[in-house]
Amino acid sequence: MKIKLQHVLMLVALLALPFFTQEDRFLGFILGVTLLSVFWATGMNILYGFVGLMPLMFAAISGIAAYALLYFIAQWHIDFWQALPLATLFASLIGVLLGLPSIRLKGFYFTLCSLIIQSTITLAFIFFPTFTNGDTGINQISPPLWMGEPIKGFIFECILSVLAVTGIVLAYFIYNSQLGQRFIAIREDDVLAESLGISVFLNRVIAFFIVSLYAAIGGCFYATYIGFISPRSFDVLSSLNIWLFVAFGGKATIAGPVIGALLLAPLPFLLQSLDAYKDILSGVLIVLITLLMPGGIYGAYLAWRNSKK
Amino acid sequence: MSHLSSHPLLRVKELTLRFGGLYALNKINFEMHSGETLGMIGPNGSGKSSFVNVLTGQFTPLNGEMEFDHQSMLGKNCHQLVEMGLCRTYQSVRVFGNLSVQRNIDIAFLLLKKNGLTHEQYNHYLNWLKLRPVLHKLSKDITLFEQRKLELMMRLVLKPKLLMLDEPVGGLATSEVSEMIQLLNELKAYTSIFIIEHTMRVIKELADRVVVLIAGEKIADGPPAEIMKNKRVINEYLGSAHA
Amino acid sequence: MDALLLLIASTVSTGLLLGAIFALVAAGVTIVYGCIWLPNASNGQFFVLSGLVAWGLTSSYGFNSFTACLIVLAASILLSLVFESLLFRRLYNVPDRNISYFVITLGLTQVMSGVFSMTFSKWSDQFSLPPLIQGVTMIGPFPMTNNRILVLAIAYTSLAILFLLLRYHPIGRAIRAVFQNREAALLRGVNVHSIYKISFVLGSTIIYLGGLLYALAYSFDLSIAWTMSITAFAIMIVGGPGSVLGALVIGLIFGFTQAIVSNFTSPTVATFSYLFAMLLILLIKPNGLFLK
Repeated sequence: MKIKLQHVLMLVALLALPFFTQEDRFLGFILGVTLLSVFWATGMNILYGFVGLMPLMFAAISGIAAYALLYFIAQWHIDFWQALPLATLFASLIGVLLGLPSIRLKGFYFTLCSLIIQSTITLAFIFFPTFTNGDTGINQISPPLWMGEPIKGFIFECILSVLAVTGIVLAYFIYNSQLGQRFIAIREDDVLAESLGISVFLNRVIAFFIVSLYAAIGGCFYATYIGFISPRSFDVLSSLNIWLFVAFGGKATIAGPVIGALLLAPLPFLLQSLDAYKDILSGVLIVLITLLMPGGIYGAYLAWRNSKK
Repeated sequence: MSHLSSHPLLRVKELTLRFGGLYALNKINFEMHSGETLGMIGPNGSGKSSFVNVLTGQFTPLNGEMEFDHQSMLGKNCHQLVEMGLCRTYQSVRVFGNLSVQRNIDIAFLLLKKNGLTHEQYNHYLNWLKLRPVLHKLSKDITLFEQRKLELMMRLVLKPKLLMLDEPVGGLATSEVSEMIQLLNELKAYTSIFIIEHTMRVIKELADRVVVLIAGEKIADGPPAEIMKNKRVINEYLGSAHA
Repeated sequence: MDALLLLIASTVSTGLLLGAIFALVAAGVTIVYGCIWLPNASNGQFFVLSGLVAWGLTSSYGFNSFTACLIVLAASILLSLVFESLLFRRLYNVPDRNISYFVITLGLTQVMSGVFSMTFSKWSDQFSLPPLIQGVTMIGPFPMTNNRILVLAIAYTSLAILFLLLRYHPIGRAIRAVFQNREAALLRGVNVHSIYKISFVLGSTIIYLGGLLYALAYSFDLSIAWTMSITAFAIMIVGGPGSVLGALVIGLIFGFTQAIVSNFTSPTVATFSYLFAMLLILLIKPNGLFLK
């Protein structure tokens, strides 16, 4: 397993970042959201970059986990750390169950199915308010407790950076493992992979489950960090946004989603005056990336570097 | 490593496959023994591809039995059959183009892991197929002939008991075809092979026995010399000239 | 009793009208997908765009509906040509282009809906067009506005023309040839790229037409863009991607479904059912109901 210096530096930098924003709460908040985005993008990349399927129901799984978390905490009087694994498992299993029938479908039809499931779940969030409080959302979500003290601000951002780094390290291990090799084979040519004894269906399900874990854990932390969730937090646009981080940064690499999230996630906050243009800008980026830079920024950089050899 | 044993390696009985109203395969019967080299010929559209696809788990037959190494093949899908020792190659060459030759072989290694080839066997195959010089190249950047040999290497790594080769010389230059025939003859020492072709030229130099398929039906089954003199085969397929 | 009959009559006429409009939009989406392999996720935005621009022309510039519609249709053909050459032409020879096109049109959807919220939604909440002609006719005991009758007539005539075009006109046959087998069409000397361009313009234009007809018959707000996209995709998938007949039949069925459901509950329920039908077909019979 080759451990590259730049990857280690990147991880150290991520762990160090909260210290730079310790004093400024506005920047700290942006960092927190960005770190969550890094974690999410790394997860989505496993399915999109490595297995070759585009899961647009990613945000829906995050949403299911978030709402389940709050429900478990409220109904069973447990704390965040106890509810976290329960909500994560619950949402991931639902994610796999919903995704299962569509995993056999070819690329575009899988994406379409994923989109339908995402839209349906968003509609369900809105129209079944017993669990979700509908479009009004749930606010004043209390942050998790650590030794009796609520985790806030700087400490929370440190936790999120540890989360992001853990997610990246896990993805790294997967990428370099035999499982990762099978994922790549399936992405490159699934029929050939099957004829070499690789069970395409089983491996896709495994990938789907792993990615759902990322989506779910992220959703739980998102709810408690932001303090407010609504169906709009977990709709198609959210899934597309995370996809954009991956595609913009560079799919099928470890650094790509990190770069994409670091560059794009802070933008809506830093450019608040241009808020109305947010959708337009991200839409334009989606079009440009797909047309001109399918490998993303990092992919383009790697290609440039290889052509120099 | 190869010897004619008494029980058949592959047994197909009354195998029938239907697409809509057409019978792609109509009550096919035959057997193949370990160590024997079987050939299958027939014109395009005769059902050869359907046959391979049914045998490798891609289509479900309407009727009939298929047995490989004493185990029923019905209901098993492609990767399960590979685990049982039945492998195939494709008519158009199929490798992981964007990955290096070495990576391609490594992926094939994933199936057997510790039960895979020994170092010696691996090196032996690599040298025999002359793939060592191109290990680092991307498999889309090597010649077609080298890609065909890579396909063989990837299957050998799976330790197959039976390797079904679908038109293995397709696209090769004449000199390469001779070299490939030579390689396939040597391949017999490592696994039983079943060659599907639409000309007799390759089959008559390799096969112990030939099965002739026309319009989904088996019309002849015997050694190449016999087949080439078979009146029905000549009339319905070969014509007066042997391909 | 009279009230019930009136309800039935209005439901039938709504069903016929919505059905025709759905069919037009779905036909547009399915032609472009079947021929070029371009799943146009932004079809709902196109649908709304034509209505919005026509509204702008009639309310701010005083055009009458008829002229406004003609202007919009002409402009839309130009717009389609621009989109085709700028965005879609690049990927014509890429084998897996349908997923890239899907993503591109999702991005386009975001751009267009963003533009609409910054412009049109600042100017009004609801949009509609003044009627083409005035007056009311009695169909038996049921009154129907002449405008609606005219819109119905235009809708069904357009559908008929489309159908005949695809079946009998050389261009239509070329489009179908490319859809069925691109390689074979190439061998027969068909200029595949220009057929792609023609089918994109044709498909988009009927979507714009559908939007205009809707705006003539009803008032709408921006949210129908997304709903229309979902509905059109659902119709295309259930009918069979590339099958215009499927789009027509299923479009009519969905139109009636919507009309009936709207009498009892929110139209969102209908949308739910389209999503569900689409999912079912994708999982059970991905080629839809009308394709072989």
